Amino acid sequence: MSDAAHAHDDHSHGHPSGIMRWLTTTNHKDIGTMYLWFALIMLFSAGTMALLIRAELFQPGLQITHPDFFNQLTTMHGLIMIFGAIMPAFSGFANWQVPLMIGAPDMAFPRMNNWAFWLLPVAATMLMASFLLPGGAVAGGWTMYPPLFIQGGISYDLTILAVHIMGLSSIMGSINIATTILNMRAPGLTLMKMPLFVWTWLITAYLLIATMPVLAGAVTMLLTDRNFGTHFFNAAGGGDPVMFQHIFWFFGHPEVYILILPAFGIVSQIIPTFARKPLFGYASMVYATASIAILSFTVWAHHMFAVGMPVAAQLFFMFSTMLIAVPTGVKIFNWVATMWKGSLTFETPMLFAIAFVCLFTIGGFSGLVLAIAPVDIQLQDTYYVVAHFHYVLVSGALFSIFAGIYYWLPKWTGHMYNETLGKWHFWLSVIGMNILFFPMHFLGLAGMPRRIPDYALQFTEFNQIATYGAFIFGFSQLIFLVLVLKTIKGGAKATDRVWEGAEGLEWTLPSPAPYHTFETAPVVK
Amino acid sequence: MSGSLAAMTDKRNGKYRTAGILAVIVIGLFLFTIFSGLK
Repeated sequence: MSDAAHAHDDHSHGHPSGIMRWLTTTNHKDIGTMYLWFALIMLFSAGTMALLIRAELFQPGLQITHPDFFNQLTTMHGLIMIFGAIMPAFSGFANWQVPLMIGAPDMAFPRMNNWAFWLLPVAATMLMASFLLPGGAVAGGWTMYPPLFIQGGISYDLTILAVHIMGLSSIMGSINIATTILNMRAPGLTLMKMPLFVWTWLITAYLLIATMPVLAGAVTMLLTDRNFGTHFFNAAGGGDPVMFQHIFWFFGHPEVYILILPAFGIVSQIIPTFARKPLFGYASMVYATASIAILSFTVWAHHMFAVGMPVAAQLFFMFSTMLIAVPTGVKIFNWVATMWKGSLTFETPMLFAIAFVCLFTIGGFSGLVLAIAPVDIQLQDTYYVVAHFHYVLVSGALFSIFAGIYYWLPKWTGHMYNETLGKWHFWLSVIGMNILFFPMHFLGLAGMPRRIPDYALQFTEFNQIATYGAFIFGFSQLIFLVLVLKTIKGGAKATDRVWEGAEGLEWTLPSPAPYHTFETAPVVK
Repeated sequence: MSGSLAAMTDKRNGKYRTAGILAVIVIGLFLFTIFSGLK
Protein backbone atom coordinates (compact mmCIF):
# COMPACT_ATOMS: atom_id res chain seq x y z
CA MET A 1 0.00 0.00 0.00
CA SER A 2 1.18 3.53 -0.72
CA ASP A 3 1.62 6.19 1.97
CA ALA A 4 -1.31 8.10 0.46
CA ALA A 5 -3.49 5.06 0.99
CA HIS A 6 -2.30 4.84 4.60
CA ALA A 7 -3.16 8.46 5.16
CA HIS A 8 -6.70 7.71 4.06
CA ASP A 9 -6.89 4.58 6.18
CA ASP A 10 -5.57 6.04 9.40
CA HIS A 11 -8.29 8.55 10.24
CA SER A 12 -11.75 7.71 11.45
CA HIS A 13 -14.09 9.83 9.31
CA GLY A 14 -15.15 12.32 11.98
CA HIS A 15 -16.16 9.68 14.47
CA PRO A 16 -16.58 10.90 18.04
CA SER A 17 -13.50 10.90 20.25
CA GLY A 18 -12.99 9.99 23.90
CA ILE A 19 -15.49 7.70 25.59
CA MET A 20 -18.07 8.20 22.82
CA ARG A 21 -15.64 6.71 20.32
CA TRP A 22 -15.58 3.48 22.28
CA LEU A 23 -19.32 3.47 23.04
CA THR A 24 -20.36 3.97 19.43
CA THR A 25 -17.56 2.33 17.47
CA THR A 26 -18.42 -0.23 14.82
CA ASN A 27 -14.81 -0.84 13.83
CA HIS A 28 -13.74 -4.45 14.29
CA LYS A 29 -10.32 -3.44 15.60
CA ASP A 30 -11.76 -1.09 18.24
CA ILE A 31 -14.26 -3.74 19.31
CA GLY A 32 -11.56 -6.42 19.37
CA THR A 33 -9.43 -4.18 21.58
CA MET A 34 -12.37 -3.62 23.94
CA TYR A 35 -13.07 -7.36 24.17
CA LEU A 36 -9.41 -8.00 25.06
CA TRP A 37 -9.26 -5.28 27.74
CA PHE A 38 -12.57 -6.44 29.18
CA ALA A 39 -11.25 -10.01 29.31
CA LEU A 40 -8.05 -8.84 31.04
CA ILE A 41 -10.03 -6.93 33.70
CA MET A 42 -12.20 -9.99 34.29
CA LEU A 43 -9.10 -12.21 34.42
CA PHE A 44 -7.66 -10.09 37.21
CA SER A 45 -11.02 -9.91 39.03
CA ALA A 46 -11.64 -13.66 38.97
CA GLY A 47 -7.91 -14.26 39.55
CA THR A 48 -8.11 -12.24 42.76
CA MET A 49 -10.98 -14.48 43.84
CA ALA A 50 -8.79 -17.51 43.09
CA LEU A 51 -6.00 -16.08 45.27
CA LEU A 52 -8.49 -15.58 48.12
CA ILE A 53 -9.58 -19.21 47.69
CA ARG A 54 -5.98 -20.41 47.77
CA ALA A 55 -5.14 -18.19 50.75
CA GLU A 56 -8.03 -19.74 52.67
CA LEU A 57 -6.83 -23.22 51.74
CA PHE A 58 -3.22 -22.55 52.80
CA GLN A 59 -3.91 -24.44 56.01
CA PRO A 60 -6.78 -26.41 57.53
CA GLY A 61 -9.44 -24.59 59.50
CA LEU A 62 -11.12 -21.31 58.60
CA GLN A 63 -8.64 -18.45 58.11
CA ILE A 64 -10.00 -15.48 56.22
CA THR A 65 -13.38 -16.34 54.71
CA HIS A 66 -16.77 -17.41 55.99
CA PRO A 67 -17.71 -20.80 54.40
CA ASP A 68 -20.63 -19.25 52.51
CA PHE A 69 -18.39 -16.49 51.15
CA PHE A 70 -15.90 -19.18 50.11
CA ASN A 71 -18.65 -20.86 48.06
CA GLN A 72 -19.53 -17.48 46.53
CA LEU A 73 -15.89 -17.06 45.54
CA THR A 74 -15.63 -20.49 43.85
CA THR A 75 -18.93 -19.95 42.01
CA MET A 76 -18.12 -16.44 40.80
CA HIS A 77 -14.53 -17.39 39.93
CA GLY A 78 -15.89 -20.05 37.56
CA LEU A 79 -18.65 -17.95 36.03
CA ILE A 80 -16.45 -14.90 35.48
CA MET A 81 -13.44 -16.79 34.14
CA ILE A 82 -15.56 -18.70 31.62
CA PHE A 83 -18.08 -16.07 30.50
CA GLY A 84 -16.07 -12.94 31.33
CA ALA A 85 -12.43 -13.76 30.63
CA ILE A 86 -11.79 -16.71 28.29
CA MET A 87 -14.78 -16.40 25.92
CA PRO A 88 -14.48 -12.61 25.47
CA ALA A 89 -10.72 -12.92 24.95
CA PHE A 90 -11.29 -15.30 22.03
CA SER A 91 -14.02 -12.98 20.72
CA GLY A 92 -11.41 -10.21 20.85
CA PHE A 93 -9.03 -12.29 18.74
CA ALA A 94 -11.87 -13.11 16.30
CA ASN A 95 -12.77 -9.43 15.96
CA TRP A 96 -9.22 -8.34 15.35
CA GLN A 97 -8.01 -11.21 13.24
CA VAL A 98 -10.84 -12.79 11.25
CA PRO A 99 -11.44 -9.79 8.92
CA LEU A 100 -7.66 -9.31 8.53
CA MET A 101 -7.10 -13.00 7.76
CA ILE A 102 -9.91 -13.32 5.20
CA GLY A 103 -9.38 -9.95 3.51
CA ALA A 104 -12.70 -8.42 4.66
CA PRO A 105 -13.11 -4.69 5.40
CA ASP A 106 -14.93 -5.38 8.70
CA MET A 107 -17.31 -7.86 10.31
CA ALA A 108 -20.53 -8.64 8.43
CA PHE A 109 -22.70 -6.72 10.95
CA PRO A 110 -20.65 -3.94 12.58
CA ARG A 111 -23.52 -2.41 14.58
CA MET A 112 -24.54 -5.79 15.99
CA ASN A 113 -20.87 -6.26 16.84
CA ASN A 114 -20.97 -3.12 18.99
CA TRP A 115 -24.10 -4.37 20.78
CA ALA A 116 -22.64 -7.83 21.33
CA PHE A 117 -19.68 -6.29 23.14
CA TRP A 118 -21.49 -3.68 25.23
CA LEU A 119 -23.91 -6.25 26.63
CA LEU A 120 -20.94 -7.90 28.36
CA PRO A 121 -19.95 -5.12 30.81
CA VAL A 122 -23.64 -4.82 31.75
CA ALA A 123 -23.82 -8.53 32.57
CA ALA A 124 -20.46 -8.50 34.36
CA THR A 125 -21.54 -5.53 36.49
CA MET A 126 -24.71 -7.38 37.45
CA LEU A 127 -22.67 -10.44 38.43
CA MET A 128 -20.12 -8.49 40.46
CA ALA A 129 -22.78 -6.29 42.08
CA SER A 130 -24.48 -9.39 43.43
CA PHE A 131 -21.69 -9.56 46.06
CA LEU A 132 -23.27 -6.44 47.59
CA LEU A 133 -26.81 -7.83 47.80
CA PRO A 134 -28.32 -9.31 50.98
CA GLY A 135 -27.01 -12.87 51.26
CA GLY A 136 -24.10 -12.11 48.93
CA ALA A 137 -23.41 -13.52 45.48
CA VAL A 138 -24.51 -16.91 44.19
CA ALA A 139 -22.87 -19.80 46.02
CA GLY A 140 -24.39 -22.82 44.29
CA GLY A 141 -21.55 -23.52 41.84
CA TRP A 142 -21.09 -22.22 38.29
CA THR A 143 -23.23 -25.13 37.02
CA MET A 144 -26.33 -23.53 38.62
CA TYR A 145 -27.84 -26.86 39.69
CA PRO A 146 -31.30 -26.91 41.23
CA PRO A 147 -32.51 -27.26 43.96
CA LEU A 148 -29.85 -24.84 45.32
CA PHE A 149 -30.38 -22.40 42.47
CA ILE A 150 -34.15 -22.43 43.02
CA GLN A 151 -33.82 -21.77 46.74
CA GLY A 152 -31.26 -18.90 46.82
CA GLY A 153 -31.89 -15.16 47.26
CA ILE A 154 -32.13 -12.21 44.86
CA SER A 155 -28.54 -12.62 43.63
CA TYR A 156 -29.61 -15.87 41.96
CA ASP A 157 -32.16 -13.99 39.84
CA LEU A 158 -29.53 -11.42 38.98
CA THR A 159 -27.08 -14.15 37.96
CA ILE A 160 -29.67 -15.90 35.78
CA LEU A 161 -30.39 -12.60 34.05
CA ALA A 162 -26.65 -11.96 33.63
CA VAL A 163 -26.24 -15.41 32.04
CA HIS A 164 -29.11 -14.59 29.68
CA ILE A 165 -27.40 -11.35 28.66
CA MET A 166 -23.99 -12.97 28.23
CA GLY A 167 -25.62 -15.75 26.19
CA LEU A 168 -27.32 -13.18 23.97
CA SER A 169 -23.98 -11.45 23.48
CA SER A 170 -22.35 -14.75 22.52
CA ILE A 171 -25.14 -15.61 20.08
CA MET A 172 -24.93 -12.20 18.40
CA GLY A 173 -21.15 -12.48 18.24
CA SER A 174 -21.16 -16.00 16.85
CA ILE A 175 -23.78 -15.27 14.16
CA ASN A 176 -21.65 -12.28 13.17
CA ILE A 177 -18.42 -14.28 13.03
CA ALA A 178 -19.97 -17.22 11.13
CA THR A 179 -21.60 -14.86 8.61
CA THR A 180 -18.36 -12.91 8.21
CA ILE A 181 -16.41 -16.07 7.46
CA LEU A 182 -19.04 -17.53 5.13
CA ASN A 183 -19.91 -14.36 3.20
CA MET A 184 -17.07 -11.85 3.47
CA ARG A 185 -14.01 -13.79 2.28
CA ALA A 186 -11.75 -12.27 -0.36
CA PRO A 187 -12.04 -13.67 -3.90
CA GLY A 188 -10.08 -16.88 -4.24
CA LEU A 189 -10.02 -17.62 -0.52
CA THR A 190 -11.87 -20.92 -0.53
CA LEU A 191 -12.79 -22.65 2.71
CA MET A 192 -9.86 -25.06 2.45
CA LYS A 193 -7.42 -22.18 1.99
CA MET A 194 -8.54 -20.38 5.15
CA PRO A 195 -6.05 -20.05 8.02
CA LEU A 196 -6.65 -22.62 10.76
CA PHE A 197 -7.58 -19.88 13.25
CA VAL A 198 -10.48 -18.87 10.98
CA TRP A 199 -11.56 -22.49 10.61
CA THR A 200 -11.55 -23.13 14.34
CA TRP A 201 -13.59 -19.96 14.94
CA LEU A 202 -16.14 -20.95 12.26
CA ILE A 203 -16.65 -24.29 14.01
CA THR A 204 -16.72 -22.57 17.42
CA ALA A 205 -19.40 -20.18 16.13
CA TYR A 206 -21.54 -23.16 15.09
CA LEU A 207 -21.02 -24.69 18.55
CA LEU A 208 -22.13 -21.44 20.19
CA ILE A 209 -25.18 -21.20 17.93
CA ALA A 210 -26.14 -24.77 18.80
CA THR A 211 -25.56 -24.63 22.55
CA MET A 212 -26.21 -21.11 23.86
CA PRO A 213 -29.98 -21.32 23.17
CA VAL A 214 -30.02 -24.57 25.18
CA LEU A 215 -28.38 -22.82 28.15
CA ALA A 216 -30.80 -19.92 27.72
CA GLY A 217 -33.71 -22.38 27.80
CA ALA A 218 -32.37 -24.07 30.94
CA VAL A 219 -31.87 -20.83 32.89
CA THR A 220 -35.25 -19.53 31.66
CA MET A 221 -36.85 -22.59 33.23
CA LEU A 222 -34.87 -21.92 36.43
CA LEU A 223 -36.17 -18.37 36.40
CA THR A 224 -39.81 -19.44 35.99
CA ASP A 225 -39.38 -22.11 38.69
CA ARG A 226 -38.11 -19.39 41.02
CA ASN A 227 -40.61 -16.66 40.20
CA PHE A 228 -43.66 -17.95 38.34
CA GLY A 229 -44.62 -21.16 40.14
CA THR A 230 -43.51 -23.66 37.48
CA HIS A 231 -41.95 -26.97 38.51
CA PHE A 232 -39.57 -27.87 35.70
CA PHE A 233 -36.85 -28.88 38.14
CA ASN A 234 -38.74 -29.02 41.43
CA ALA A 235 -39.26 -32.64 42.49
CA ALA A 236 -41.95 -31.61 45.00
CA GLY A 237 -44.08 -30.34 42.11
CA GLY A 238 -43.41 -33.30 39.80
CA GLY A 239 -40.31 -31.78 38.16
CA ASP A 240 -36.92 -33.38 37.71
CA PRO A 241 -33.70 -31.75 38.96
CA VAL A 242 -31.64 -34.32 37.04
CA MET A 243 -33.20 -33.04 33.81
CA PHE A 244 -31.46 -29.71 34.48
CA GLN A 245 -28.14 -31.52 34.63
CA HIS A 246 -28.82 -33.21 31.28
CA ILE A 247 -29.79 -29.91 29.63
CA PHE A 248 -26.97 -27.98 31.29
CA TRP A 249 -24.27 -30.42 30.25
CA PHE A 250 -25.68 -30.68 26.71
CA PHE A 251 -24.57 -27.05 26.64
CA GLY A 252 -21.68 -27.47 29.09
CA HIS A 253 -19.54 -30.01 27.30
CA PRO A 254 -19.56 -28.32 23.88
CA GLU A 255 -18.77 -25.17 25.93
CA VAL A 256 -15.46 -26.81 26.85
CA TYR A 257 -14.67 -26.98 23.13
CA ILE A 258 -15.90 -23.42 22.64
CA LEU A 259 -13.14 -22.53 25.10
CA ILE A 260 -10.45 -24.67 23.47
CA LEU A 261 -11.06 -24.79 19.68
CA PRO A 262 -9.98 -21.15 19.13
CA ALA A 263 -6.92 -22.02 21.24
CA PHE A 264 -6.15 -24.82 18.77
CA GLY A 265 -6.47 -22.24 16.00
CA ILE A 266 -4.04 -19.79 17.60
CA VAL A 267 -1.45 -22.51 18.24
CA SER A 268 -1.88 -23.75 14.66
CA GLN A 269 -0.91 -20.27 13.45
CA ILE A 270 2.06 -19.86 15.77
CA ILE A 271 3.85 -23.21 15.51
CA PRO A 272 4.33 -23.11 11.68
CA THR A 273 5.62 -19.52 11.94
CA PHE A 274 8.35 -20.35 14.45
CA ALA A 275 9.12 -23.75 12.90
CA ARG A 276 9.37 -22.01 9.51
CA LYS A 277 7.40 -24.84 7.93
CA PRO A 278 3.83 -25.11 6.66
CA LEU A 279 1.38 -26.70 9.09
CA PHE A 280 1.61 -30.49 8.82
CA GLY A 281 -1.70 -32.07 7.76
CA TYR A 282 -3.83 -28.97 7.20
CA ALA A 283 -6.86 -30.90 5.93
CA SER A 284 -6.68 -33.42 8.75
CA MET A 285 -6.56 -30.50 11.23
CA VAL A 286 -9.80 -29.15 9.76
CA TYR A 287 -11.52 -32.54 9.84
CA ALA A 288 -10.21 -33.24 13.37
CA THR A 289 -11.61 -29.91 14.60
CA ALA A 290 -15.00 -30.65 13.02
CA SER A 291 -14.95 -34.20 14.47
CA ILE A 292 -14.22 -32.88 17.97
CA ALA A 293 -17.12 -30.43 17.63
CA ILE A 294 -19.58 -33.11 16.46
CA LEU A 295 -18.47 -35.63 19.10
CA SER A 296 -18.79 -32.98 21.81
CA PHE A 297 -22.59 -33.29 21.51
CA THR A 298 -22.49 -37.00 22.36
CA VAL A 299 -20.60 -37.00 25.66
CA TRP A 300 -22.49 -34.72 28.06
CA ALA A 301 -23.51 -37.36 30.61
CA HIS A 302 -19.88 -38.12 31.56
CA HIS A 303 -20.26 -35.06 33.82
CA MET A 304 -23.02 -36.83 35.73
CA PHE A 305 -22.10 -40.52 36.00
CA ALA A 306 -22.72 -40.19 39.75
CA VAL A 307 -26.47 -39.46 39.32
CA GLY A 308 -26.93 -43.07 38.29
CA MET A 309 -27.76 -44.30 34.81
CA PRO A 310 -28.13 -47.64 32.98
CA VAL A 311 -24.88 -49.51 32.30
CA ALA A 312 -25.49 -49.19 28.55
CA ALA A 313 -25.67 -45.40 28.91
CA GLN A 314 -22.51 -45.36 31.03
CA LEU A 315 -20.70 -47.41 28.38
CA PHE A 316 -21.94 -45.16 25.57
CA PHE A 317 -20.84 -41.94 27.26
CA MET A 318 -17.56 -43.50 28.41
CA PHE A 319 -16.56 -44.68 24.94
CA SER A 320 -17.80 -41.59 23.12
CA THR A 321 -15.69 -39.50 25.50
CA MET A 322 -12.62 -41.64 24.84
CA LEU A 323 -13.28 -41.34 21.10
CA ILE A 324 -12.62 -37.58 21.29
CA ALA A 325 -9.01 -38.43 22.12
CA VAL A 326 -8.57 -39.65 18.51
CA PRO A 327 -9.08 -36.33 16.64
CA THR A 328 -7.35 -34.51 19.53
CA GLY A 329 -4.40 -36.87 19.13
CA VAL A 330 -4.34 -36.09 15.41
CA LYS A 331 -3.92 -32.42 16.27
CA ILE A 332 -1.16 -33.02 18.82
CA PHE A 333 0.62 -35.27 16.30
CA ASN A 334 0.34 -32.62 13.58
CA TRP A 335 1.76 -29.87 15.82
CA VAL A 336 4.71 -32.08 16.77
CA ALA A 337 5.18 -33.09 13.12
CA THR A 338 5.17 -29.40 12.12
CA MET A 339 8.02 -28.77 14.57
CA TRP A 340 9.91 -31.89 13.43
CA LYS A 341 13.06 -30.84 11.57
CA GLY A 342 11.86 -27.24 11.48
CA SER A 343 14.14 -24.23 11.96
CA LEU A 344 12.79 -23.60 15.41
CA THR A 345 13.24 -20.40 17.37
CA PHE A 346 11.79 -19.83 20.81
CA GLU A 347 10.27 -16.38 21.04
CA THR A 348 7.59 -15.93 23.71
CA PRO A 349 4.59 -16.86 21.49
CA MET A 350 6.33 -20.13 20.56
CA LEU A 351 7.21 -20.87 24.20
CA PHE A 352 3.57 -20.48 25.22
CA ALA A 353 2.48 -22.58 22.20
CA ILE A 354 4.88 -25.41 23.10
CA ALA A 355 3.79 -25.23 26.76
CA PHE A 356 0.21 -25.44 25.48
CA VAL A 357 0.92 -28.63 23.53
CA CYS A 358 2.68 -30.33 26.48
CA LEU A 359 0.42 -29.21 29.33
CA PHE A 360 -2.90 -29.41 27.48
CA THR A 361 -1.97 -33.03 26.76
CA ILE A 362 -1.68 -33.64 30.52
CA GLY A 363 -5.18 -32.17 30.93
CA GLY A 364 -6.41 -34.37 28.09
CA PHE A 365 -4.96 -37.51 29.65
CA SER A 366 -6.51 -36.79 33.06
CA GLY A 367 -9.77 -36.29 31.14
CA LEU A 368 -9.39 -39.79 29.73
CA VAL A 369 -8.91 -41.11 33.28
CA LEU A 370 -12.11 -39.35 34.34
CA ALA A 371 -13.96 -40.73 31.31
CA ILE A 372 -13.78 -44.22 32.84
CA ALA A 373 -17.15 -44.42 34.62
CA PRO A 374 -16.06 -46.46 37.68
CA VAL A 375 -13.00 -44.23 38.18
CA ASP A 376 -15.11 -41.10 37.74
CA ILE A 377 -17.51 -42.21 40.46
CA GLN A 378 -14.50 -42.37 42.83
CA LEU A 379 -13.02 -39.06 41.71
CA GLN A 380 -16.27 -37.10 41.20
CA ASP A 381 -16.10 -33.72 42.96
CA THR A 382 -12.51 -34.22 44.14
CA TYR A 383 -9.48 -32.05 43.44
CA TYR A 384 -8.49 -34.44 40.65
CA VAL A 385 -11.30 -32.90 38.59
CA VAL A 386 -10.13 -29.40 39.57
CA ALA A 387 -6.59 -30.29 38.43
CA HIS A 388 -7.93 -31.75 35.16
CA PHE A 389 -9.99 -28.80 34.01
CA HIS A 390 -7.41 -26.23 35.09
CA TYR A 391 -4.76 -27.99 32.98
CA VAL A 392 -7.22 -27.71 30.07
CA LEU A 393 -8.34 -24.15 30.72
CA VAL A 394 -5.22 -22.47 32.16
CA SER A 395 -2.34 -24.16 30.36
CA GLY A 396 -4.72 -24.76 27.44
CA ALA A 397 -7.03 -21.83 26.81
CA LEU A 398 -5.25 -19.11 28.80
CA PHE A 399 -1.74 -19.97 27.59
CA SER A 400 -2.97 -19.89 23.99
CA ILE A 401 -4.45 -16.43 24.66
CA PHE A 402 -1.06 -15.26 25.95
CA ALA A 403 0.61 -16.86 22.92
CA GLY A 404 -1.79 -15.11 20.57
CA ILE A 405 -1.34 -11.74 22.22
CA TYR A 406 2.47 -11.95 22.01
CA TYR A 407 2.13 -13.11 18.39
CA TRP A 408 -0.20 -10.39 17.12
CA LEU A 409 0.53 -7.51 19.54
CA PRO A 410 3.23 -6.05 17.23
CA LYS A 411 0.70 -6.06 14.36
CA TRP A 412 -1.91 -4.35 16.57
CA THR A 413 0.31 -1.74 18.22
CA GLY A 414 3.12 -1.30 15.70
CA HIS A 415 5.70 -1.98 18.43
CA MET A 416 7.68 -5.06 19.39
CA TYR A 417 7.10 -6.20 22.95
CA ASN A 418 10.00 -6.61 25.38
CA GLU A 419 11.23 -10.18 24.82
CA THR A 420 13.01 -10.36 28.20
CA LEU A 421 9.84 -9.43 30.06
CA GLY A 422 7.90 -11.87 27.90
CA LYS A 423 10.24 -14.70 28.82
CA TRP A 424 10.02 -13.81 32.54
CA HIS A 425 6.25 -13.88 32.20
CA PHE A 426 6.36 -17.25 30.45
CA TRP A 427 8.70 -19.03 32.85
CA LEU A 428 7.06 -17.70 36.02
CA SER A 429 3.63 -18.61 34.59
CA VAL A 430 4.58 -22.10 33.53
CA ILE A 431 6.41 -22.86 36.79
CA GLY A 432 3.74 -21.24 38.98
CA MET A 433 0.93 -22.95 37.12
CA ASN A 434 2.45 -26.41 37.56
CA ILE A 435 3.21 -25.84 41.25
CA LEU A 436 -0.39 -24.70 41.63
CA PHE A 437 -2.27 -27.42 39.80
CA PHE A 438 -0.09 -30.54 39.69
CA PRO A 439 -0.38 -31.31 43.44
CA MET A 440 -4.15 -31.15 43.05
CA HIS A 441 -3.99 -34.51 41.24
CA PHE A 442 -2.55 -36.07 44.40
CA LEU A 443 -5.07 -34.26 46.62
CA GLY A 444 -7.92 -35.57 44.50
CA LEU A 445 -6.60 -39.12 44.39
CA ALA A 446 -6.29 -38.97 48.18
CA GLY A 447 -9.95 -37.94 48.37
CA MET A 448 -9.96 -34.21 49.06
CA PRO A 449 -13.35 -32.84 47.96
CA ARG A 450 -13.64 -29.60 45.98
CA ARG A 451 -15.69 -26.54 47.01
CA ILE A 452 -14.82 -26.73 50.73
CA PRO A 453 -13.01 -24.04 52.78
CA ASP A 454 -11.64 -26.53 55.32
CA TYR A 455 -10.00 -29.94 55.00
CA ALA A 456 -8.47 -32.82 56.91
CA LEU A 457 -4.90 -32.42 58.22
CA GLN A 458 -3.34 -34.94 55.84
CA PHE A 459 -4.02 -32.66 52.86
CA THR A 460 -2.05 -29.72 54.31
CA GLU A 461 1.32 -30.03 52.52
CA PHE A 462 -0.01 -30.32 48.98
CA ASN A 463 -2.42 -27.46 49.66
CA GLN A 464 0.41 -25.26 50.87
CA ILE A 465 2.47 -26.07 47.77
CA ALA A 466 -0.55 -25.25 45.57
CA THR A 467 -1.03 -21.91 47.32
CA TYR A 468 2.64 -20.97 46.80
CA GLY A 469 2.17 -21.79 43.11
CA ALA A 470 -1.03 -19.72 42.96
CA PHE A 471 0.71 -16.60 44.22
CA ILE A 472 3.69 -17.10 41.87
CA PHE A 473 1.30 -17.58 38.95
CA GLY A 474 -1.04 -14.77 40.01
CA PHE A 475 1.59 -12.10 40.57
CA SER A 476 3.53 -13.03 37.43
CA GLN A 477 0.50 -11.80 35.47
CA LEU A 478 1.42 -8.27 36.57
CA ILE A 479 4.51 -8.64 34.35
CA PHE A 480 2.15 -9.30 31.46
CA LEU A 481 0.13 -6.18 32.27
CA VAL A 482 3.30 -4.03 32.41
CA LEU A 483 4.53 -5.57 29.16
CA VAL A 484 1.28 -4.84 27.31
CA LEU A 485 1.18 -1.24 28.57
CA LYS A 486 4.83 -0.69 27.63
CA THR A 487 4.25 -2.13 24.15
CA ILE A 488 1.24 0.12 23.53
CA LYS A 489 3.25 3.14 24.69
CA GLY A 490 6.33 2.50 22.59
CA GLY A 491 9.17 0.18 21.74
CA ALA A 492 11.06 -0.98 18.70
CA LYS A 493 9.11 -0.45 15.48
CA ALA A 494 7.49 -3.63 14.22
CA THR A 495 7.94 -4.55 10.57
CA ASP A 496 4.92 -5.38 8.42
CA ARG A 497 5.59 -9.09 8.49
CA VAL A 498 6.82 -9.02 12.13
CA TRP A 499 7.91 -12.71 12.17
CA GLU A 500 10.24 -14.19 9.57
CA GLY A 501 8.11 -17.29 9.06
CA ALA A 502 4.68 -15.64 9.20
CA GLU A 503 2.28 -16.31 6.32
CA GLY A 504 -1.16 -14.87 5.64
CA LEU A 505 -3.05 -11.76 4.58
CA GLU A 506 -2.69 -9.93 7.91
CA TRP A 507 1.09 -9.78 7.45
CA THR A 508 0.74 -7.95 4.11
CA LEU A 509 -0.64 -4.95 6.04
CA PRO A 510 1.48 -2.27 7.71
CA SER A 511 2.16 -2.45 11.47
CA PRO A 512 0.11 -1.15 13.20
CA ALA A 513 -2.76 -2.27 11.01
CA PRO A 514 -4.54 0.88 9.71
CA TYR A 515 -7.98 1.78 11.09
CA HIS A 516 -9.60 0.65 7.83
CA THR A 517 -8.17 -2.32 5.98
CA PHE A 518 -9.02 -4.25 2.82
CA GLU A 519 -11.52 -1.68 1.58
CA THR A 520 -10.47 -3.08 -1.77
CA ALA A 521 -10.53 -6.85 -1.45
CA PRO A 522 -7.25 -8.65 -2.07
CA VAL A 523 -7.30 -11.55 -4.49
CA VAL A 524 -5.97 -14.82 -3.10
CA LYS A 525 -4.24 -17.10 -5.58
CA MET B 1 -10.92 -10.74 -12.18
CA SER B 2 -14.16 -8.73 -12.58
CA GLY B 3 -16.10 -12.00 -12.52
CA SER B 4 -14.56 -12.95 -9.19
CA LEU B 5 -15.32 -9.47 -7.78
CA ALA B 6 -18.95 -9.78 -8.93
CA ALA B 7 -19.15 -13.18 -7.26
CA MET B 8 -17.70 -11.64 -4.09
CA THR B 9 -20.33 -8.88 -4.12
CA ASP B 10 -23.09 -11.47 -4.56
CA LYS B 11 -21.67 -13.50 -1.71
CA ARG B 12 -21.42 -10.47 0.57
CA ASN B 13 -25.03 -9.52 -0.21
CA GLY B 14 -26.03 -12.99 0.99
CA LYS B 15 -25.01 -12.15 4.56
CA TYR B 16 -28.57 -11.34 5.64
CA ARG B 17 -29.78 -14.75 4.47
CA THR B 18 -26.96 -16.55 6.32
CA ALA B 19 -27.60 -14.60 9.52
CA GLY B 20 -31.37 -15.14 9.17
CA ILE B 21 -30.96 -18.90 8.88
CA LEU B 22 -28.65 -18.98 11.92
CA ALA B 23 -31.07 -16.81 13.93
CA VAL B 24 -33.97 -19.16 13.10
CA ILE B 25 -31.85 -22.10 14.32
CA VAL B 26 -31.13 -20.24 17.58
CA ILE B 27 -34.80 -19.44 18.23
CA GLY B 28 -35.83 -22.99 17.30
CA LEU B 29 -33.33 -24.56 19.70
CA PHE B 30 -34.40 -22.24 22.51
CA LEU B 31 -38.07 -23.10 22.05
CA PHE B 32 -37.29 -26.81 21.67
CA THR B 33 -35.38 -26.77 24.98
CA ILE B 34 -38.32 -25.20 26.81
CA PHE B 35 -40.70 -27.63 25.07
CA SER B 36 -38.53 -30.57 26.26
CA GLY B 37 -38.92 -29.27 29.79
CA LEU B 38 -42.71 -29.18 29.49
CA LYS B 39 -42.99 -32.89 28.74
